[in-house]
Amino acid sequence: MIQAIVFLPLVGALIAGLLGRVIGHRTSEYITTGLLIIAAVLSWVVFAQYWLAPAAAEGAHGAATKVEVFRWITSGALDLRWVLRVDTLTAVMLVVVTTVSSLVHVYSIGYMSDDPHRARFFSYLSLFTFAMLMLVTADNFLQMFFGWEGVGLASYLLIGFWYKKPSANAAAMKAFVVNRVGDFGFVLGIFAAFMVLGQLDFDSAFHAVPEHADATMRFLSWDLHAMTVVCLLLFMGAMGKSAQFLLHTWLPDAMEGPTPVSALIHAATMVTAGVFMVARLSPLFEASDIAMMVVMLVGAMTAFFAATVGLVQNDIKRVIAYSTCSQLGYMFVALGAGAYSVGIFHLFTHAFFKALLFLGAGSVIHAMHHEQDMRNMGGLRHKIPVTYWMMIIGTLALTGVGIPGTPLGFAGFFSKDGIIEVAYAAGASTGYIAFWALVISAMFTSFYSWRLIHLTFHGKPREANHGHDAHAAHDDHGHGHGSAYDNAHESPNVMLVPLYILAAGAVLAGVVFNDVFFGHAEHIEHFFQGSLVVSADLLDAAHHVPWQVKWSATGAMLIGFVAAFQMYIRDTEAPRRLAHANPGLYLFLLNKWYFDELYDRIFVKPALWLGNALWKGFDDQLIDKALTEGLGARVKAITGRVVKLQSGYLYHYAFAMLIGIAALLTWAIAAGGLLG
Amino acid sequence: MQSDVTSFASLAPAYPELLMAVGAVVVLLLALFWKNVRPGVIAVVAIVLLLATLAVLVLQPASGVLFNGIVIVDGFARYMKALVLGAAAATVMISLSNSKEHGIDKFEYSVLVLLATLGMMIMVSANDLMSLYIGLELQSLALYVVAAMKREDPRAAEAGIKYFVLGALSSGMLLYGASLVYGFTGTTQLDQIVAAITLETRSIGLIFGMVFLLAGIAFKISAVPFHMWTPDVYEGAPTPVTAFFAAAPKVAAMALFIRVTTVSFGPITKDWQQIVIFLSIASMVLASFAAIGQDNLKRLLAYSSIGHVGFALVGLSAGTAVGVEGVAVYMAIYVAMTVGIFACVLALRTEDGRPVETITALAGLAQRKPFVAAIIAILMFSLIGLPPLAGFFAKWQVFLAAVEQNLFVLAVIGVLASAVSAFYYLRIIKVMYFDEPVAKFAAVPGELTAVMAGVGFLIVTYFFTVARPLTDAAHAAAGSLF
Amino acid sequence: MNELLSNYLPILIFVGLAAVIGLALMIAPFVIAYKKPDPEKVSAFEAGFDAFDDARMKFDVRFYLVSILFIVFDLEVALLFPWAVAFREVGWFGFWSVMIFLGVLTIGFIYEWKKGALEWD
Repeated sequence: MIQAIVFLPLVGALIAGLLGRVIGHRTSEYITTGLLIIAAVLSWVVFAQYWLAPAAAEGAHGAATKVEVFRWITSGALDLRWVLRVDTLTAVMLVVVTTVSSLVHVYSIGYMSDDPHRARFFSYLSLFTFAMLMLVTADNFLQMFFGWEGVGLASYLLIGFWYKKPSANAAAMKAFVVNRVGDFGFVLGIFAAFMVLGQLDFDSAFHAVPEHADATMRFLSWDLHAMTVVCLLLFMGAMGKSAQFLLHTWLPDAMEGPTPVSALIHAATMVTAGVFMVARLSPLFEASDIAMMVVMLVGAMTAFFAATVGLVQNDIKRVIAYSTCSQLGYMFVALGAGAYSVGIFHLFTHAFFKALLFLGAGSVIHAMHHEQDMRNMGGLRHKIPVTYWMMIIGTLALTGVGIPGTPLGFAGFFSKDGIIEVAYAAGASTGYIAFWALVISAMFTSFYSWRLIHLTFHGKPREANHGHDAHAAHDDHGHGHGSAYDNAHESPNVMLVPLYILAAGAVLAGVVFNDVFFGHAEHIEHFFQGSLVVSADLLDAAHHVPWQVKWSATGAMLIGFVAAFQMYIRDTEAPRRLAHANPGLYLFLLNKWYFDELYDRIFVKPALWLGNALWKGFDDQLIDKALTEGLGARVKAITGRVVKLQSGYLYHYAFAMLIGIAALLTWAIAAGGLLG
Repeated sequence: MQSDVTSFASLAPAYPELLMAVGAVVVLLLALFWKNVRPGVIAVVAIVLLLATLAVLVLQPASGVLFNGIVIVDGFARYMKALVLGAAAATVMISLSNSKEHGIDKFEYSVLVLLATLGMMIMVSANDLMSLYIGLELQSLALYVVAAMKREDPRAAEAGIKYFVLGALSSGMLLYGASLVYGFTGTTQLDQIVAAITLETRSIGLIFGMVFLLAGIAFKISAVPFHMWTPDVYEGAPTPVTAFFAAAPKVAAMALFIRVTTVSFGPITKDWQQIVIFLSIASMVLASFAAIGQDNLKRLLAYSSIGHVGFALVGLSAGTAVGVEGVAVYMAIYVAMTVGIFACVLALRTEDGRPVETITALAGLAQRKPFVAAIIAILMFSLIGLPPLAGFFAKWQVFLAAVEQNLFVLAVIGVLASAVSAFYYLRIIKVMYFDEPVAKFAAVPGELTAVMAGVGFLIVTYFFTVARPLTDAAHAAAGSLF
Repeated sequence: MNELLSNYLPILIFVGLAAVIGLALMIAPFVIAYKKPDPEKVSAFEAGFDAFDDARMKFDVRFYLVSILFIVFDLEVALLFPWAVAFREVGWFGFWSVMIFLGVLTIGFIYEWKKGALEWD
């Protein structure tokens, strides 16, 4: 069964990719989508086994189902097999990946209906799914790395899907390059893990952790705590893939890709690979306190930073992108605190509501004929009511609406509040820093989410501001009749059905699964069966935090909601006034803390300069001019002289012979030491 | 005076020379008294005689010292003589079809080639400064005449005169050196000279003599700085003659060089090594650079042959059996490549029958005559020394010998010179394959095609076909000197 | 040292003698020649040269041919004299060596005869 889940998308990708031109776009769409739906159904079956009867499903505690596909590398002591590993953690990810992916496939049939390269698009989507499944079913570091790079490649291809758009190409390249930085760390981490633990497959590596917990490794003149080095390097990979602070710059730009791609890759699945990886390798991370602390702080920082930037963005997709970035920060805080199951829980719920938001945004964009700037929207509630309500559900889930202390709430409510509580429970200064960062972020989250809703759906259509007058003269002819607003229409059912399903998930995922992810420690352990580390003490502490803490997130959410309502419904001039009052802060946020500019200065410009220097200075000047051409010129110069020697005069020749013999005699006598 | 020649059978080691001497005279008389015989027929008879001599040489492996010690026949001599005979036969063969336009459609040409070959055989077998000189002069005098054979062509006449005058000068040097060596050792016999000198008691006079002697021989192998005649003579002489010049005499002179240095001057190896290294480096470097400036194919081949002599001398510089073996292999491959390239040059004629002698005239050859172009390309790559062609193994062996003796600088310079030489060899390929055709070429005679195909085959498949037997033979040859 | 030099005394004598003879031949005409030319006196010698003319003039190459052929037999004689003197010493080996030498020379002679080198016209 697991083979079917993993390889069906590959089959689809190959069929659509290689035979797309032959079988046509429509067939390619149906084949890939159909195969994905089968895989999703099978995934749910697998997941159900773990969920409903976890102990019965696999018997022995801590054992994962392993299916060997083939022997991969056999070289000396290294004996790597290609093994599909299924345990609870994998099952959760399988469900997330295949469900969102199949829904995105379905959605794309509608969204991409007028694109001339649909077969290629669906091939890429399926290829991505296959790589992601490879990643989550990995049983050893190398396999994981294969999937890791595979999703990176698919992401690159999909961001740059509209390769005729320069901005899409640039974004694809940026994503690839920034990920390279993280991947470099990841590879080094794998090397370091292999060096320290001597194992590449996960189970053996985890078993080897205790004996190497205090090992040190020598780098230059420092003795470093080995596990810390390993974990930090691995986390560097996670930072790149999950767009964490400092390596986050590629994610907003990645929105250049088609919106379904953003939903699938840059919201629900690929960007969570880092979270998954840290959870999967939780036994390693547990061995290093410093690494855990770093994970937590980076997560908190990202959550806060991305939320602030999200406050002022105008592109509907960028707002959601920064929201994603921020939510990923939440997950890492949970992981850093040691509550891996909670991080995975948020990953799980987030997949639903964020995919819902993205697809909803896609629906809006679709309705507005690829208009993405929220300032040109407004009042769309009446035009596209279904989309509107779906977005509302997504927003409620994202902002974490629910009543603390009761099992009533949207999905985000359970997982997000869980994380905040865990952060508080983790204690120590880092825990409190993270706690406050997250609470403030929750407030911002609420604000920018509702801002998005208000700007897009409420109020009056603002598109008229710049559109109508200009178009007035043309009003009489062509399809230019009316504005995008007037022409806005609800999306077809093929796009709406996925929204319904995701909405259901966004509503229910929290309630239903709260217990196994963030319930009693026993339940969690029972559910995960050792596929990740569960800290009973921490969870216990999290469940018994003061009531103020439990209400903090909800309070922050409410403040954000009210502020948004005030500024975008009642007093619509307020945002502008605020921006004018604090121009520095506004620009700082609008320009995303100037990270792109900073990186441009620090890395891009010097790299370009270096590249130019190497090209013009080294290649052109030194190699080409000085060495190649210079040598050529020297050779020709020497040749000219040598040829001149050959004058054609007999006496010159004879003279040369005599000179030659004189030189030879001198040389022989001098070198032979005959004259002392 | 008693002679060691007591019966005809005791002359067995000298049978090839005797056959050649008698044969040459007979051919001369035959040509004189056979009414209206075409020169081509005489040339064929000469080829038969050369091949017959080669057969006698190979099938009758008698060794020994003859004529009171002035002639020696050993493995080395037989190996080199076989090369000389093969080269001579091949070069006469490739001149058959175009002798008229090169002005060598005279029976004297064949006779002179036979006599020159006889001289070379004597050179190779010389065990005495006297016989050495006799052989050298017999060869040289014949070659002087052959060089100027196309009398109506001023270039050929100029070539002949230059060769003659400079050859006389070099003979003078050689004789002066020989007299000094005789004066300081008291003997002219090569294997007795060695007994008379030791490293400790060597005198300036002996070194003087040796240098002059070697300079005289270096002229014959056209090592720098005694090479000046080569480009002019190669260019001026009729192409078949040039082919002959480039192949057989080089082998004979190189054999003489090796025998004189290793046998007579064995104890003062350190001294002649210096000279050989000097000649070697000068030849390799100068030839590599000078050849780049040439447009005339024959001039370019002249520099090419100078360069290859330099490479061969790298092997001799080592002063060991391995080095000599390398030189022996090198000369064999060199002869094959030379015969092949001259076969190509001789095969190329424009439609109106004029020979193609410049590189620019080769433009677009690959389109017009793909086979000839392919063979030239193979030969060029082999001359550069690219694996897996024969030229690579030739250079490989000599460089290996040099490195074994820690002559790293020499080896490095050799490799660099090789790289520079690639410049002009590749230029020919570029012109043939990438330039637009200008001229139309006449059909290629059959026997030239055969020679080209044979040489091309041997060069390409060298490692699998001839490498083993050739190296074994060279090994045995070198072994008979040490 | 003196002994070494005295070994070369004959050479010195030869050099001196040669110088004396050469100078005598060059000086004598100035002393004893009639300075009164007549047509017979200034007509060409057997060598074909005019007695008083530019040294760098064209002349018939056949004069050279004849003289070179003559030199060959000159040298033959130069070899035969010492051979005749040492005939008893060199024995049959020497005898046959010279016979072969003469044979080769004869073949050369036959060649030039057949090629018409001896014909004046």
